[in-house]
Amino acid sequence: MQFATVLTYRTDYLLTAVLLLVQVYLLRVVWTAVYADRGVADGITVHTMIAYATLATVQYTLFSPWRFSQIPERVREGKVAMDLLRPVGFCGQMLAAQVGGTAALAPFMVLALPFALLVGGATAPPSAGAAVAYAVSLLLAYAISQLLALLVGMVAFWTVENTGIFMIYRVAAQFLSGALVPLWFMPGPLRVLAQVLPFQATAYTPTATYLGEIHGSGLAVALGVQALWVGLLTALARLVWSRAVHRVVVQGG
Amino acid sequence: MRAYRILLGAAVRAELQYRANFLINVIGGICYQGVGLAFIWAVLSQFGTIGGWSLREVAFLYAIRLTAHGLWIVPFGQLISVDEVVRQGEYDRYLVRPANPLVQLITRRIHLTASGDLLGGLLLLAIASTQAPVAWSPGAVAFLLLAVVGGAMVELSLQLAASAMTFRLLSTMSLKFGIDAVFNEVGSYPLKIFGGAARFGLTFVFPLAFVAYLPSTVLLDRTGELAVPAWLAWGSPVVGGVLLTGAYLFWSRQSRHYKSSGH
Repeated sequence: MQFATVLTYRTDYLLTAVLLLVQVYLLRVVWTAVYADRGVADGITVHTMIAYATLATVQYTLFSPWRFSQIPERVREGKVAMDLLRPVGFCGQMLAAQVGGTAALAPFMVLALPFALLVGGATAPPSAGAAVAYAVSLLLAYAISQLLALLVGMVAFWTVENTGIFMIYRVAAQFLSGALVPLWFMPGPLRVLAQVLPFQATAYTPTATYLGEIHGSGLAVALGVQALWVGLLTALARLVWSRAVHRVVVQGG
Repeated sequence: MRAYRILLGAAVRAELQYRANFLINVIGGICYQGVGLAFIWAVLSQFGTIGGWSLREVAFLYAIRLTAHGLWIVPFGQLISVDEVVRQGEYDRYLVRPANPLVQLITRRIHLTASGDLLGGLLLLAIASTQAPVAWSPGAVAFLLLAVVGGAMVELSLQLAASAMTFRLLSTMSLKFGIDAVFNEVGSYPLKIFGGAARFGLTFVFPLAFVAYLPSTVLLDRTGELAVPAWLAWGSPVVGGVLLTGAYLFWSRQSRHYKSSGH
Protein backbone atom coordinates (compact mmCIF):
# COMPACT_ATOMS: atom_id res chain seq x y z
CA MET A 1 0.00 0.00 0.00
CA GLN A 2 2.59 2.53 1.07
CA PHE A 3 4.78 1.31 -1.79
CA ALA A 4 2.01 2.20 -4.22
CA THR A 5 1.35 5.54 -2.53
CA VAL A 6 4.94 6.62 -2.87
CA LEU A 7 5.02 5.56 -6.53
CA THR A 8 1.73 7.25 -7.40
CA TYR A 9 3.04 10.76 -7.16
CA ARG A 10 5.95 10.53 -9.51
CA THR A 11 6.86 14.20 -9.52
CA ASP A 12 7.31 14.03 -5.78
CA TYR A 13 9.48 11.02 -6.23
CA LEU A 14 11.70 12.76 -8.72
CA LEU A 15 11.99 15.86 -6.58
CA THR A 16 13.05 13.78 -3.60
CA ALA A 17 16.00 12.62 -5.67
CA VAL A 18 16.81 16.12 -6.90
CA LEU A 19 16.66 17.42 -3.36
CA LEU A 20 19.04 14.69 -2.29
CA LEU A 21 21.56 15.77 -4.89
CA VAL A 22 21.24 19.41 -3.84
CA GLN A 23 21.87 18.45 -0.24
CA VAL A 24 24.91 16.38 -1.10
CA TYR A 25 26.30 19.22 -3.18
CA LEU A 26 25.76 21.69 -0.34
CA LEU A 27 27.46 19.52 2.20
CA ARG A 28 30.45 19.17 -0.08
CA VAL A 29 30.69 22.93 -0.50
CA VAL A 30 30.32 23.59 3.21
CA TRP A 31 32.89 21.01 4.23
CA THR A 32 35.31 22.16 1.55
CA ALA A 33 34.91 25.73 2.78
CA VAL A 34 35.48 24.97 6.44
CA TYR A 35 38.48 22.82 5.66
CA ALA A 36 39.85 25.64 3.47
CA ASP A 37 43.49 24.75 2.87
CA ARG A 38 43.78 22.50 5.85
CA GLY A 39 43.52 19.08 4.20
CA VAL A 40 43.39 17.18 7.48
CA ALA A 41 41.56 17.94 10.74
CA ASP A 42 41.62 15.58 13.71
CA GLY A 43 43.05 12.91 11.45
CA ILE A 44 40.12 13.15 9.05
CA THR A 45 40.88 14.25 5.51
CA VAL A 46 38.49 16.45 3.61
CA HIS A 47 37.87 13.56 1.19
CA THR A 48 36.85 11.20 3.97
CA MET A 49 34.57 13.89 5.35
CA ILE A 50 32.86 14.49 2.01
CA ALA A 51 32.46 10.75 1.48
CA TYR A 52 30.92 10.55 4.95
CA ALA A 53 28.49 13.39 4.25
CA THR A 54 27.46 11.92 0.90
CA LEU A 55 26.82 8.44 2.23
CA ALA A 56 25.07 9.62 5.39
CA THR A 57 22.73 11.86 3.39
CA VAL A 58 21.78 9.12 0.93
CA GLN A 59 21.09 6.71 3.78
CA TYR A 60 19.13 9.28 5.70
CA THR A 61 16.88 10.08 2.73
CA LEU A 62 16.26 6.39 2.15
CA PHE A 63 15.32 5.74 5.76
CA SER A 64 13.19 8.92 5.92
CA PRO A 65 12.33 8.12 9.51
CA TRP A 66 9.72 10.83 9.87
CA ARG A 67 7.80 10.60 6.63
CA PHE A 68 6.40 7.15 6.55
CA SER A 69 4.65 6.70 9.86
CA GLN A 70 0.91 6.86 9.21
CA ILE A 71 -0.12 6.34 12.79
CA PRO A 72 -0.90 9.97 13.73
CA GLU A 73 -3.07 10.47 10.66
CA ARG A 74 -4.88 7.17 11.15
CA VAL A 75 -5.57 7.94 14.80
CA ARG A 76 -6.73 11.47 14.08
CA GLU A 77 -9.11 10.37 11.35
CA GLY A 78 -10.34 7.26 13.11
CA LYS A 79 -8.99 4.89 10.45
CA VAL A 80 -7.23 3.03 13.23
CA ALA A 81 -10.53 1.26 13.90
CA MET A 82 -10.21 -0.58 10.58
CA ASP A 83 -6.59 -1.45 11.28
CA LEU A 84 -7.53 -3.07 14.55
CA LEU A 85 -10.08 -5.29 12.82
CA ARG A 86 -7.54 -6.72 10.40
CA PRO A 87 -6.08 -10.15 11.15
CA VAL A 88 -2.48 -8.86 11.24
CA GLY A 89 -1.12 -7.11 14.34
CA PHE A 90 -1.22 -3.32 14.22
CA CYS A 91 2.54 -2.88 14.74
CA GLY A 92 3.18 -5.36 11.97
CA GLN A 93 0.93 -3.45 9.59
CA MET A 94 2.60 -0.15 10.34
CA LEU A 95 6.12 -1.56 10.03
CA ALA A 96 5.16 -3.23 6.76
CA ALA A 97 3.91 0.11 5.47
CA GLN A 98 7.17 1.79 6.47
CA VAL A 99 9.21 -0.91 4.76
CA GLY A 100 7.01 -0.52 1.68
CA GLY A 101 7.80 3.18 1.59
CA THR A 102 11.52 2.47 1.74
CA ALA A 103 11.25 -0.28 -0.88
CA ALA A 104 9.63 2.14 -3.32
CA LEU A 105 12.36 4.66 -2.72
CA ALA A 106 15.22 2.15 -2.90
CA PRO A 107 15.50 1.60 -6.69
CA PHE A 108 15.47 5.32 -7.15
CA MET A 109 18.23 5.72 -4.63
CA VAL A 110 20.28 3.21 -6.56
CA LEU A 111 19.80 5.37 -9.65
CA ALA A 112 20.59 8.57 -7.74
CA LEU A 113 23.67 7.12 -6.08
CA PRO A 114 26.13 7.57 -8.98
CA PHE A 115 25.04 11.19 -9.31
CA ALA A 116 25.36 11.69 -5.58
CA LEU A 117 28.86 10.31 -5.74
CA LEU A 118 29.59 12.63 -8.63
CA VAL A 119 28.43 15.84 -6.93
CA GLY A 120 29.70 14.68 -3.56
CA GLY A 121 32.59 12.34 -3.38
CA ALA A 122 33.31 8.79 -2.43
CA THR A 123 35.98 6.36 -1.49
CA ALA A 124 35.72 2.61 -1.70
CA PRO A 125 35.61 0.80 1.64
CA PRO A 126 39.20 0.16 2.73
CA SER A 127 38.74 -3.60 2.91
CA ALA A 128 36.28 -6.35 2.02
CA GLY A 129 35.71 -6.80 5.75
CA ALA A 130 34.59 -3.19 6.07
CA ALA A 131 32.13 -3.69 3.21
CA VAL A 132 30.58 -6.75 4.86
CA ALA A 133 30.48 -5.04 8.24
CA TYR A 134 28.84 -2.07 6.57
CA ALA A 135 26.06 -4.23 5.11
CA VAL A 136 25.34 -5.77 8.52
CA SER A 137 25.50 -2.42 10.26
CA LEU A 138 23.23 -0.80 7.68
CA LEU A 139 20.59 -3.47 8.16
CA LEU A 140 20.65 -3.00 11.93
CA ALA A 141 20.55 0.78 11.46
CA TYR A 142 17.45 0.41 9.31
CA ALA A 143 15.74 -1.76 11.91
CA ILE A 144 16.51 0.79 14.63
CA SER A 145 15.27 3.76 12.62
CA GLN A 146 12.00 2.00 11.76
CA LEU A 147 11.41 0.91 15.35
CA LEU A 148 11.99 4.46 16.51
CA ALA A 149 9.54 5.79 13.92
CA LEU A 150 6.97 3.26 15.11
CA LEU A 151 7.45 4.24 18.74
CA VAL A 152 7.20 7.93 18.03
CA GLY A 153 4.12 7.34 15.90
CA MET A 154 2.44 5.50 18.76
CA VAL A 155 2.66 8.58 20.94
CA ALA A 156 -0.37 9.67 18.89
CA PHE A 157 -2.51 7.29 20.93
CA TRP A 158 -1.98 9.54 23.94
CA THR A 159 -1.76 13.00 22.45
CA VAL A 160 -3.95 12.54 19.32
CA GLU A 161 -2.06 15.39 17.73
CA ASN A 162 1.64 14.83 17.59
CA THR A 163 3.22 17.04 14.98
CA GLY A 164 5.38 18.56 17.70
CA ILE A 165 6.73 15.26 18.93
CA PHE A 166 7.55 14.32 15.37
CA MET A 167 9.39 17.55 14.93
CA ILE A 168 11.52 17.07 18.03
CA TYR A 169 12.14 13.48 17.06
CA ARG A 170 13.16 14.44 13.55
CA VAL A 171 15.66 16.97 14.79
CA ALA A 172 17.08 14.69 17.44
CA ALA A 173 17.27 11.85 14.95
CA GLN A 174 18.98 13.96 12.35
CA PHE A 175 21.50 15.68 14.54
CA LEU A 176 22.29 13.07 17.17
CA SER A 177 22.48 10.35 14.53
CA GLY A 178 25.56 12.02 13.16
CA ALA A 179 23.89 12.45 9.77
CA LEU A 180 24.99 16.09 9.75
CA VAL A 181 28.12 16.23 11.87
CA PRO A 182 29.97 12.98 12.48
CA LEU A 183 30.42 12.14 16.13
CA TRP A 184 34.18 12.68 15.91
CA PHE A 185 33.64 16.42 15.25
CA MET A 186 31.05 16.97 17.97
CA PRO A 187 32.08 19.04 20.98
CA GLY A 188 32.69 16.89 24.10
CA PRO A 189 29.37 16.91 26.01
CA LEU A 190 27.35 16.61 22.82
CA ARG A 191 29.36 13.59 21.75
CA VAL A 192 28.71 11.87 25.07
CA LEU A 193 24.99 12.56 24.70
CA ALA A 194 25.01 11.21 21.15
CA GLN A 195 26.82 8.07 22.25
CA VAL A 196 24.31 7.07 24.92
CA LEU A 197 21.26 7.58 22.66
CA PRO A 198 20.11 5.14 19.97
CA PHE A 199 20.21 7.65 17.10
CA GLN A 200 23.93 7.34 16.38
CA ALA A 201 23.32 3.69 15.59
CA THR A 202 21.09 4.72 12.67
CA ALA A 203 23.57 6.79 10.67
CA TYR A 204 26.96 7.29 12.26
CA THR A 205 27.75 3.64 12.93
CA PRO A 206 27.17 2.29 9.40
CA THR A 207 28.81 5.27 7.70
CA ALA A 208 31.90 5.27 9.89
CA THR A 209 32.10 1.50 9.45
CA TYR A 210 32.04 1.87 5.68
CA LEU A 211 34.89 4.36 5.80
CA GLY A 212 36.92 2.12 8.08
CA GLU A 213 36.87 4.70 10.89
CA ILE A 214 35.32 2.03 13.08
CA HIS A 215 37.27 -1.22 12.86
CA GLY A 216 38.74 -4.06 14.91
CA SER A 217 37.34 -4.42 18.41
CA GLY A 218 35.58 -1.06 18.09
CA LEU A 219 33.53 -2.58 15.29
CA ALA A 220 32.41 -5.52 17.42
CA VAL A 221 31.31 -3.11 20.13
CA ALA A 222 29.48 -0.87 17.65
CA LEU A 223 27.59 -3.78 16.09
CA GLY A 224 26.82 -5.12 19.56
CA VAL A 225 25.40 -1.77 20.58
CA GLN A 226 23.23 -1.74 17.46
CA ALA A 227 21.92 -5.22 18.14
CA LEU A 228 21.23 -4.25 21.73
CA TRP A 229 19.17 -1.28 20.57
CA VAL A 230 17.16 -3.45 18.20
CA GLY A 231 16.32 -5.76 21.12
CA LEU A 232 15.56 -2.94 23.54
CA LEU A 233 13.41 -1.00 21.13
CA THR A 234 11.46 -4.09 20.08
CA ALA A 235 10.68 -4.80 23.71
CA LEU A 236 9.74 -1.18 24.26
CA ALA A 237 7.47 -1.16 21.20
CA ARG A 238 5.66 -4.24 22.50
CA LEU A 239 5.22 -2.65 25.92
CA VAL A 240 3.99 0.64 24.50
CA TRP A 241 1.59 -1.14 22.15
CA SER A 242 0.12 -3.25 24.94
CA ARG A 243 -0.72 -0.02 26.74
CA ALA A 244 -1.71 1.96 23.67
CA VAL A 245 -4.36 -0.56 22.68
CA HIS A 246 -6.30 0.34 25.81
CA ARG A 247 -6.05 4.00 25.01
CA VAL A 248 -7.51 3.89 21.53
CA VAL A 249 -9.94 6.69 21.00
CA VAL A 250 -11.71 6.30 17.70
CA GLN A 251 -12.68 9.61 16.24
CA GLY A 252 -15.81 9.44 14.11
CA GLY A 253 -16.53 6.59 11.69
CA MET B 1 -8.86 41.55 6.15
CA ARG B 2 -11.96 41.22 8.31
CA ALA B 3 -12.58 37.70 7.02
CA TYR B 4 -8.95 36.89 7.76
CA ARG B 5 -9.30 38.04 11.38
CA ILE B 6 -12.43 36.00 12.02
CA LEU B 7 -11.04 32.84 10.41
CA LEU B 8 -7.72 33.23 12.15
CA GLY B 9 -9.44 33.47 15.52
CA ALA B 10 -11.30 30.24 14.81
CA ALA B 11 -8.09 28.46 13.77
CA VAL B 12 -6.26 29.56 16.91
CA ARG B 13 -9.13 28.35 19.11
CA ALA B 14 -9.12 25.02 17.29
CA GLU B 15 -5.42 24.61 17.81
CA LEU B 16 -5.64 25.42 21.51
CA GLN B 17 -7.94 22.42 21.92
CA TYR B 18 -4.86 20.25 22.06
CA ARG B 19 -2.92 22.14 24.67
CA ALA B 20 -0.11 19.72 25.46
CA ASN B 21 0.59 19.36 21.78
CA PHE B 22 0.66 23.12 21.40
CA LEU B 23 3.45 23.45 23.93
CA ILE B 24 5.41 20.58 22.44
CA ASN B 25 4.87 22.11 19.01
CA VAL B 26 6.49 25.36 20.00
CA ILE B 27 9.43 23.55 21.57
CA GLY B 28 9.60 21.35 18.49
CA GLY B 29 9.73 24.36 16.23
CA ILE B 30 12.60 25.85 18.16
CA CYS B 31 14.48 22.54 18.13
CA TYR B 32 13.97 22.13 14.39
CA GLN B 33 15.49 25.49 13.66
CA GLY B 34 18.10 25.11 16.35
CA VAL B 35 19.61 22.11 14.61
CA GLY B 36 21.04 24.29 11.87
CA LEU B 37 22.66 26.52 14.42
CA ALA B 38 23.93 23.51 16.33
CA PHE B 39 25.56 22.29 13.12
CA ILE B 40 27.28 25.63 12.57
CA TRP B 41 28.32 25.80 16.21
CA ALA B 42 29.73 22.27 16.16
CA VAL B 43 31.63 22.85 12.92
CA LEU B 44 32.93 26.32 13.78
CA SER B 45 34.05 25.24 17.24
CA GLN B 46 36.33 22.84 15.37
CA PHE B 47 37.34 25.04 12.49
CA GLY B 48 37.04 28.69 13.68
CA THR B 49 35.82 30.44 10.52
CA ILE B 50 33.97 29.67 7.32
CA GLY B 51 34.80 31.81 4.32
CA GLY B 52 36.43 34.28 6.74
CA TRP B 53 33.19 34.69 8.74
CA SER B 54 33.37 34.06 12.48
CA LEU B 55 30.71 32.27 14.51
CA ARG B 56 29.27 35.62 15.69
CA GLU B 57 28.85 36.86 12.15
CA VAL B 58 27.35 33.61 10.87
CA ALA B 59 24.98 33.61 13.86
CA PHE B 60 23.84 37.11 12.91
CA LEU B 61 23.14 36.00 9.34
CA TYR B 62 21.39 32.92 10.69
CA ALA B 63 19.21 35.06 12.97
CA ILE B 64 18.08 37.26 10.08
CA ARG B 65 17.15 34.20 8.04
CA LEU B 66 15.31 32.56 10.91
CA THR B 67 13.33 35.68 11.81
CA ALA B 68 12.36 36.18 8.17
CA HIS B 69 11.32 32.53 8.03
CA GLY B 70 9.17 32.84 11.16
CA LEU B 71 7.60 36.00 9.86
CA TRP B 72 6.19 34.34 6.73
CA ILE B 73 5.45 30.91 8.12
CA VAL B 74 3.29 32.04 11.05
CA PRO B 75 0.57 33.54 8.85
CA PHE B 76 1.09 31.40 5.73
CA GLY B 77 2.15 28.01 7.11
CA GLN B 78 -0.99 26.30 5.80
CA LEU B 79 0.34 26.51 2.28
CA ILE B 80 1.92 23.19 3.22
CA SER B 81 -1.48 21.48 3.13
CA VAL B 82 -2.58 22.88 -0.22
CA ASP B 83 -2.00 19.47 -1.87
CA GLU B 84 -4.44 17.77 0.44
CA VAL B 85 -7.01 20.54 0.08
CA VAL B 86 -6.92 20.39 -3.69
CA ARG B 87 -6.71 16.59 -4.00
CA GLN B 88 -9.60 15.94 -1.66
CA GLY B 89 -11.76 18.64 -3.16
CA GLU B 90 -11.88 20.75 0.00
CA TYR B 91 -11.08 23.69 -2.24
CA ASP B 92 -14.68 23.48 -3.55
CA ARG B 93 -15.88 24.93 -0.29
CA TYR B 94 -13.51 27.88 -0.47
CA LEU B 95 -14.81 28.78 -3.88
CA VAL B 96 -18.42 29.04 -2.80
CA ARG B 97 -17.75 31.11 0.31
CA PRO B 98 -17.60 34.91 0.18
CA ALA B 99 -13.91 35.30 1.01
CA ASN B 100 -10.66 35.01 -0.91
CA PRO B 101 -9.86 31.28 -1.28
CA LEU B 102 -6.23 31.93 -0.35
CA VAL B 103 -7.31 33.57 2.90
CA GLN B 104 -9.52 30.57 3.68
CA LEU B 105 -6.68 28.20 2.89
CA ILE B 106 -4.16 29.85 5.17
CA THR B 107 -6.62 30.05 8.06
CA ARG B 108 -7.82 26.45 7.72
CA ARG B 109 -5.57 25.39 10.55
CA ILE B 110 -2.72 27.16 12.17
CA HIS B 111 0.44 25.37 13.10
CA LEU B 112 1.62 27.24 16.13
CA THR B 113 4.94 25.43 15.82
CA ALA B 114 5.86 28.31 13.62
CA SER B 115 5.53 30.86 16.40
CA GLY B 116 8.51 29.05 17.93
CA ASP B 117 10.50 29.87 14.78
CA LEU B 118 9.57 33.50 15.08
CA LEU B 119 10.28 33.71 18.82
CA GLY B 120 13.54 31.81 18.45
CA GLY B 121 14.53 34.04 15.55
CA LEU B 122 13.81 37.24 17.43
CA LEU B 123 15.67 36.03 20.49
CA LEU B 124 18.68 34.97 18.48
CA LEU B 125 18.58 38.22 16.51
CA ALA B 126 18.60 40.23 19.73
CA ILE B 127 21.61 38.31 21.04
CA ALA B 128 23.49 38.17 17.74
CA SER B 129 22.93 41.90 17.12
CA THR B 130 24.83 42.80 20.27
CA GLN B 131 27.59 40.28 19.57
CA ALA B 132 28.18 40.89 15.87
CA PRO B 133 30.46 43.72 14.77
CA VAL B 134 27.74 46.02 13.43
CA ALA B 135 27.93 49.81 13.66
CA TRP B 136 24.40 50.39 14.98
CA SER B 137 22.61 53.59 14.04
CA PRO B 138 18.89 54.38 13.55
CA GLY B 139 19.44 53.85 9.84
CA ALA B 140 21.03 50.45 10.40
CA VAL B 141 18.16 49.34 12.64
CA ALA B 142 15.61 50.49 10.05
CA PHE B 143 17.50 48.62 7.32
CA LEU B 144 17.56 45.47 9.46
CA LEU B 145 13.78 45.61 10.01
CA LEU B 146 13.08 46.23 6.33
CA ALA B 147 15.49 43.46 5.36
CA VAL B 148 13.76 40.95 7.63
CA VAL B 149 10.33 41.80 6.20
CA GLY B 150 11.74 41.71 2.66
CA GLY B 151 13.38 38.36 3.38
CA ALA B 152 10.08 36.94 4.61
CA MET B 153 8.44 38.08 1.37
CA VAL B 154 11.15 36.46 -0.75
CA GLU B 155 10.69 33.09 0.93
CA LEU B 156 6.90 33.39 0.90
CA SER B 157 6.84 34.21 -2.79
CA LEU B 158 8.74 31.03 -3.65
CA GLN B 159 6.49 28.90 -1.44
CA LEU B 160 3.36 30.51 -2.86
CA ALA B 161 4.53 29.90 -6.42
CA ALA B 162 5.29 26.27 -5.55
CA SER B 163 1.87 25.89 -3.92
CA ALA B 164 0.20 27.30 -7.02
CA MET B 165 1.62 24.41 -9.04
CA THR B 166 -0.52 22.00 -7.06
CA PHE B 167 -3.49 22.90 -9.27
CA ARG B 168 -1.73 21.04 -12.07
CA LEU B 169 0.67 18.64 -10.34
CA LEU B 170 -1.50 17.68 -7.32
CA SER B 171 1.62 16.91 -5.32
CA THR B 172 4.08 19.64 -4.46
CA MET B 173 5.12 18.48 -1.02
CA SER B 174 8.65 17.56 -2.09
CA LEU B 175 9.02 20.79 -3.98
CA LYS B 176 8.05 22.77 -0.92
CA PHE B 177 10.18 20.70 1.40
CA GLY B 178 12.97 21.15 -1.11
CA ILE B 179 12.65 24.93 -1.13
CA ASP B 180 12.48 24.92 2.65
CA ALA B 181 15.50 22.67 2.92
CA VAL B 182 17.55 24.84 0.60
CA PHE B 183 16.65 27.94 2.62
CA ASN B 184 17.36 26.09 5.80
CA GLU B 185 20.73 24.75 4.75
CA VAL B 186 22.25 27.10 2.20
CA GLY B 187 20.55 30.19 3.60
CA SER B 188 22.54 30.06 6.80
CA TYR B 189 25.97 30.38 5.20
CA PRO B 190 27.85 33.29 3.72
CA LEU B 191 27.27 32.56 0.04
CA LYS B 192 30.84 33.55 -0.64
CA ILE B 193 31.84 29.94 -0.01
CA PHE B 194 29.98 28.78 -3.11
CA GLY B 195 31.45 28.95 -6.58
CA GLY B 196 30.57 31.72 -9.02
CA ALA B 197 27.81 29.82 -10.83
CA ALA B 198 26.06 28.77 -7.61
CA ARG B 199 26.28 32.33 -6.28
CA PHE B 200 24.76 33.68 -9.46
CA GLY B 201 22.01 31.06 -9.32
CA LEU B 202 21.24 31.72 -5.68
CA THR B 203 20.90 35.43 -6.39
CA PHE B 204 19.07 35.63 -9.72
CA VAL B 205 17.40 32.25 -10.25
CA PHE B 206 16.59 31.11 -6.71
CA PRO B 207 16.77 34.49 -4.97
CA LEU B 208 17.92 33.22 -1.63
CA ALA B 209 20.76 35.73 -1.32
CA PHE B 210 18.27 38.55 -0.74
CA VAL B 211 16.92 36.99 2.45
CA ALA B 212 19.93 37.18 4.71
CA TYR B 213 23.28 37.14 2.95
CA LEU B 214 23.05 40.41 1.04
CA PRO B 215 21.47 42.39 3.91
CA SER B 216 24.01 41.08 6.39
CA THR B 217 26.96 42.01 4.18
CA VAL B 218 25.58 45.56 4.29
CA LEU B 219 25.29 45.57 8.08
CA LEU B 220 28.58 43.76 8.68
CA ASP B 221 30.33 46.09 6.24
CA ARG B 222 31.35 43.21 4.01
CA THR B 223 29.89 44.35 0.69
CA GLY B 224 33.45 44.30 -0.63
CA GLU B 225 33.33 40.51 -0.93
CA LEU B 226 30.25 40.56 -3.16
CA ALA B 227 30.30 39.74 -6.86
CA VAL B 228 27.23 41.93 -7.37
CA PRO B 229 27.22 45.74 -6.99
CA ALA B 230 26.65 47.00 -3.44
CA TRP B 231 23.46 48.87 -4.39
CA LEU B 232 21.81 45.51 -5.08
CA ALA B 233 22.54 44.46 -1.50
CA TRP B 234 21.09 47.72 -0.23
CA GLY B 235 18.03 47.20 -2.38
CA SER B 236 17.31 43.68 -1.13
CA PRO B 237 14.22 44.71 0.94
CA VAL B 238 12.53 45.93 -2.27
CA VAL B 239 13.12 42.61 -4.04
CA GLY B 240 10.77 40.83 -1.64
CA GLY B 241 7.84 43.08 -2.51
CA VAL B 242 8.38 42.65 -6.25
CA LEU B 243 8.67 38.86 -6.02
CA LEU B 244 5.62 38.50 -3.81
CA THR B 245 3.47 40.47 -6.24
CA GLY B 246 4.62 38.19 -9.05
CA ALA B 247 3.97 35.06 -7.00
CA TYR B 248 0.44 36.15 -6.14
CA LEU B 249 -0.37 36.79 -9.79
CA PHE B 250 1.00 33.33 -10.61
CA TRP B 251 -1.17 31.76 -7.87
CA SER B 252 -4.28 33.52 -9.23
CA ARG B 253 -3.62 32.31 -12.76
CA GLN B 254 -2.85 28.72 -11.75
CA SER B 255 -5.91 28.47 -9.51
CA ARG B 256 -8.06 28.66 -12.64
CA HIS B 257 -6.79 25.18 -13.47
CA TYR B 258 -8.44 23.73 -10.40
CA LYS B 259 -10.33 20.51 -11.10
CA SER B 260 -12.50 19.28 -8.30
CA SER B 261 -12.09 15.67 -7.29
CA GLY B 262 -15.90 15.57 -7.08
CA HIS B 263 -18.11 15.01 -4.07
